[in-house]
Amino acid sequence: MTPDSPIKLVSELLDLPLYDNEGKYCGIVDDVELSGGPGKPLKLKALLVGPGAYAGRMPEWAMKLVKLMAGDRITRVPMEKVRTIGTAVHLECPGRALGLYKSETAAGHWIPEGGAL
Amino acid sequence: MARQWLLLFLPLLACCSKGPQADLQYISDARSLAAEWALINQQASEGKLTGVYVGSMHQWLRTQLQTDSAALTQPKSAYGAEIAALLQQPDDAAPEALSAHADKLKHIEDALESA
Amino acid sequence: MNPLELTLGIMTAVGGFVDISELVFAAKAGSTFGYALIWVFAISTIGIIVFSEMSGRVAATAKQPVFNLMRHRLGLKLGLVTLAASVIANLITCAAELGGVALVLNYLTGAPYMLMAVATALAFVLSIWVLPFQWIERTYGLLGLFMIVFAAALIAIHPPWHQIAGGFVPHVPAGLSTKELLKFGYFVVAIVSAVMFPYEVYFYSSGGIEEDWGPKQLLTNRMTAILGMGLGSLLAISILSNSAQLFGPANVDPSLPGTAALEAAIPFGKWGLILALLGMFFAIAGAAVETCLANAYSIAQFFGWIWGRHKKPWEAPRFTITWIVLFALALLIVLTGVDVMVLVEFAILFSILVLPLTYLPLLLLAEDKKYMREYVNGPVSKTLGWFYFGVITLAAVAALPLYFLTSGGNG
Repeated sequence: MTPDSPIKLVSELLDLPLYDNEGKYCGIVDDVELSGGPGKPLKLKALLVGPGAYAGRMPEWAMKLVKLMAGDRITRVPMEKVRTIGTAVHLECPGRALGLYKSETAAGHWIPEGGAL
Repeated sequence: MARQWLLLFLPLLACCSKGPQADLQYISDARSLAAEWALINQQASEGKLTGVYVGSMHQWLRTQLQTDSAALTQPKSAYGAEIAALLQQPDDAAPEALSAHADKLKHIEDALESA
Repeated sequence: MNPLELTLGIMTAVGGFVDISELVFAAKAGSTFGYALIWVFAISTIGIIVFSEMSGRVAATAKQPVFNLMRHRLGLKLGLVTLAASVIANLITCAAELGGVALVLNYLTGAPYMLMAVATALAFVLSIWVLPFQWIERTYGLLGLFMIVFAAALIAIHPPWHQIAGGFVPHVPAGLSTKELLKFGYFVVAIVSAVMFPYEVYFYSSGGIEEDWGPKQLLTNRMTAILGMGLGSLLAISILSNSAQLFGPANVDPSLPGTAALEAAIPFGKWGLILALLGMFFAIAGAAVETCLANAYSIAQFFGWIWGRHKKPWEAPRFTITWIVLFALALLIVLTGVDVMVLVEFAILFSILVLPLTYLPLLLLAEDKKYMREYVNGPVSKTLGWFYFGVITLAAVAALPLYFLTSGGNG
């Protein structure tokens, strides 16, 4: 499926994993950004990745729990950067170019490299 | 509606009550601990256990018995005295003496369960 | 199919089947109700085989682990509720396993319990850091095969085999009072929970991804689930049967995990005791590692982090921090001094409440042709899957009332 095919947003797109053009896992589609408005056609503008994107889908108390466990970062992936959508979303550029896995990189400063077989 | 609420609260009331019925779980636990202690000492006398294992088990058995004794709502009862007497036993008490305590606690336990 | 890989996989599953909860409840079930609860172990084992095979098949076909797909199926809110509930249940279970290992070390060496808990937690962190996934799984699983001494002990004490065979037939013993009937019901629920713990499915499915399973491994997956868990459950049934023969008549209702080791000491003496304690050490240690990693998998997969021990710890930093923090939390729980048996009770209770939420998405996914293609659930898997979903839902509903009415099986 390509980005301009008809998509059932809830059942087919949300919560899908993302992979960049290097095959690297980049997270999950946590929400979507739409353009348009009342009486106008809706168009999918971007995918939102990161726990900050849950804010519109969860009560406040749940968001506090999420923030404690996973932070509240959001990364925006424009639809122009999406190559295909199927059981996963495949991007046509490296994830780092879009600012994906920044939190992973930050967490990496705490982990020493060595000792593992 | 009131009956349904009462049925919900009955288990809570049972938990909070005092007396032999409330102490039944501790009597049952103490009975088993006495029997375990007897079994361990019997096997130890036959040379089937390591000294380290026996020492550790004695320590844990005694700790658990003390917990049961402290939890009793009627410590001055017959079963309270029985558990206190059990705690007075030395670690290497004869299996028969320990089994006797277990049997007495079993009789008390059975009497309470059939009451 | 590589015969060596298959054999190692089956033996790992056998050695890793029994954990502290199964050990405790098998021994108590035998001493309290004789052989009457054997059928519950047998039926629950079929249930865990069904769902493990399903989760392995989902991992191999969809190439995505259970928690990724669970969020997709349940939605974010219900997915988060499931995550929170399973993290709590698995954390308590991990603490129970960690406490259990510390206890066994105390029985083996006499070293102080709390010190052993700290040393054990550090050893676990080190072993997960250093060893690749397959070595972690295989080391604990294969060394858990010392548990076979319990099966050998059963043969040595010449039990009434016809009664053991009769125990496999589903029945409720005749002549039980109302109180005893409720206690029997509680044991049924507890055994179902202990055998079908949610962490087993999370770990098994994520393990399939760790080992890069594909459709070629589906037969290995099926045989590992059936033979490994089937044979593993015979160890649990051996513990129950030994207890029925040795403890029940002696009025022993094992209050301490260490009492179970007597089952091997009575027929075999000191060497039987040592082998039993070693088996308990590795089996429970393996379970501690699995519960911790299962929790880390769940959290990382839910939030979309890089995860897995097939990567070096620094290549999956948030996942690494998560499992280290989880071990620290489990250790803190143990260091509060709460009794290991109490932790086991709570682990059983919380886990059975989470089980329906765990298995429903898995069942739905395994029936979804979009993910599973030609490997979708067949009529047998479908029927058994929904049957067991019904069983665990009933058990979940009955768990809390039975716990309170029987004082956690003690009243």
